Amino acid sequence: MKKIISWLVAIGVIGFLAAYAGSSFIMKSRKAPESEVAALKYDEALIKKGEYLARLSDCAACHSVPGDAEYAGGLAMQTPFGAIYSTNITPDAETGIGNYSLTEFTNAVKHGVRKDNAPLYPAMPYTSYTIMSDDDMQAMYAYFMEKVPAVKKANAPSTFPWVMSMRWPVAYWQFLFSPIRDFEPNPALTELENHGAYLVEGPGHCGACHTPRGIAYQEKALSNDSDLYLSGALIDGWRAKSLRGEVQGLKLWSDGDIVEFLKTGRTDKVIAFGAMTDVVEHSSQYWSERDLNATAAYLKQLTPAPNKILELPKKEDTTTDLLLSGKYKDPGAILYVEHCYTCHRADGEGVSRIFPALNLNSAVLANNAQSVIQVTLEGGKMPETPADRMAFTMPAFNHLSDDEVAIIINFIRNSWNNTSPEVSAEDVAEIRQFLRHKAPNITLN
Amino acid sequence: MFVGSTVTANELTEADPDRFAMVDKEGNDLGWYTVPSDLEILKEPNSDEIMYGKLLLNETKRMLPDNVGATMNCNSCHVAEGKANFGAPYLTTSHQYPKVMPRAGKMVDLTGRINGCFQRSMNGKPLHPESPEMKAMLAYMDWLSQSQPEGAKVDIINAPLVDESLVPDPVNGQLVYEAQCATCHGDQGEGLKDKRGNLIFPPLWGPESFNIGAGMARTYKAASFVKFNMPMAVSKEGAWGQGGVLTDQEAIDVSEYFTHLPRPDFEGKVNDWPNGKKPKDARY
Repeated sequence: MKKIISWLVAIGVIGFLAAYAGSSFIMKSRKAPESEVAALKYDEALIKKGEYLARLSDCAACHSVPGDAEYAGGLAMQTPFGAIYSTNITPDAETGIGNYSLTEFTNAVKHGVRKDNAPLYPAMPYTSYTIMSDDDMQAMYAYFMEKVPAVKKANAPSTFPWVMSMRWPVAYWQFLFSPIRDFEPNPALTELENHGAYLVEGPGHCGACHTPRGIAYQEKALSNDSDLYLSGALIDGWRAKSLRGEVQGLKLWSDGDIVEFLKTGRTDKVIAFGAMTDVVEHSSQYWSERDLNATAAYLKQLTPAPNKILELPKKEDTTTDLLLSGKYKDPGAILYVEHCYTCHRADGEGVSRIFPALNLNSAVLANNAQSVIQVTLEGGKMPETPADRMAFTMPAFNHLSDDEVAIIINFIRNSWNNTSPEVSAEDVAEIRQFLRHKAPNITLN
Repeated sequence: MFVGSTVTANELTEADPDRFAMVDKEGNDLGWYTVPSDLEILKEPNSDEIMYGKLLLNETKRMLPDNVGATMNCNSCHVAEGKANFGAPYLTTSHQYPKVMPRAGKMVDLTGRINGCFQRSMNGKPLHPESPEMKAMLAYMDWLSQSQPEGAKVDIINAPLVDESLVPDPVNGQLVYEAQCATCHGDQGEGLKDKRGNLIFPPLWGPESFNIGAGMARTYKAASFVKFNMPMAVSKEGAWGQGGVLTDQEAIDVSEYFTHLPRPDFEGKVNDWPNGKKPKDARY
């Protein structure tokens, strides 16, 4: 018996060592060899290009904490095992990436390999960035090293429990789910659509939030070779909507709507909220007209996601007149008028570019009401862009009971022309608990 | 269903409504006054009347076009159905009248007070004191304050004071207006209406605004409202996400600017402040 145990222990130890060695081998194989770069002389044009690419890739949204120094890290990202914190990517030598060579920078951004060969967590979208060119990396490196102010802010360890906090198994995740690849244009698409495909798949890394993830947290598709690609997902307590052609996706959006939304965070009907506020504020408002048009052209040609509806059930609006008449006893109508009516109006159309519509707003109509519940409990702020004088804030309604919030949300999602699945008070309670346990960001101040 | 946690029904969170401390005339504790949810109206024997009163206060212009000359609703200024502290709430109004008002120079009951609003803020005509409309509005206000004991002093402030020693600068006021107000109230103060022509944001000057006899036409009274309740939707606190972004000086500047722009006259102004005590920001 003792012998068997000894053998088992030995096999276990050898297995662990082999796995560990395998991890190290994977990481080495993912690295680009250190290239001899002559003393780098960066001109203004290259730095400008790098700045644009950093905006396009939205580095700032994750690597900054609102109100704290840009790119200095510390933003908490919630995962099922705890929170991880984004890192300092300012050129500070001690706490940032000041000691990274261009090759080391490229290895981190495109291949998920840290300077010390450790694998980066999949929260960093190297799975998408891998299709960007080495020239782009050089421009971004120039921008970060020359233009971004160095900030001393130490990186924070994750709150994962011990076993989960080991990084080396992530190498196997990278091996399985994050192939190092190049962008493959689709000959059936126009040049503009292909450019959009590149932006969405690569620097824009839209799939990181909008593509559903599998059991190992891997994106189920990295490009449009499956209609699960960009078909909507849940992340960080938000429902990232489908960007495909069904009614709860982008079917009701024109190319112009998509461009206007990405550029200004608003259309006359919808307004960015939640995680999308950060995307518009830090990234898409800076995109060039061509990049915006390409993105819209590409997204609009995506086919509908599977098992999703193409049409809403036809429904006459009886809500507006009912609310205007004042003759209702329905708790949903009563609570809506008390808490929502002033901004979102009797007709559920909101006020153009000031308060979003609730009627036929694809974010409101999602099968999964998680975002609607979260924004109701927490409130939310619109992105600030030069397009509008003011960016408005929805107040938090966390002083309402779980029951009341469910009643209001069911009223909103099933009034006017809207039809959506009902939510329960328990659903609201679940989101409330999730929000209560969110780890805070780490700030310098 | 959503994030993998399991929640049992007994973990549901109850509502946490606004509540305010109450004391009696001697300062003895009378417990809390809790602002009732509108769902509570359904439990009242006269719930239809209360609901009607609430509708009239929310949508005065649409419901009572013969009595409202301006494009205004009562609840354009009485924030969140008159339930917001600092936002000219109706929460304790029923118990405050009748009282002597310096402007009238005599005892005014709540019906008279509401009709004052109809003639000044609404630039319109008074309602018949016995009309169902007036009674419905009173019923809503009575319902709001019915849980307060007789004579209770509730820790609610209708309109906190701003520093009245500050000198208004209307030139800066115009800049504040353009940055913080014009998005909703319009570059020309014209307000905004919806597709059906119903009021969304009230006009702040011009023929459809409140007249010169309204409290809101006075710089420091307007400044208090503006500081604590405007802009709306700029904060995660409060029923409208309202207020708290302007300094006293900015609120006074912008109020001086918009109150002194052209607005309808008020015929009855000759009878105001018959006993003196005219405030320094009175307009006539």
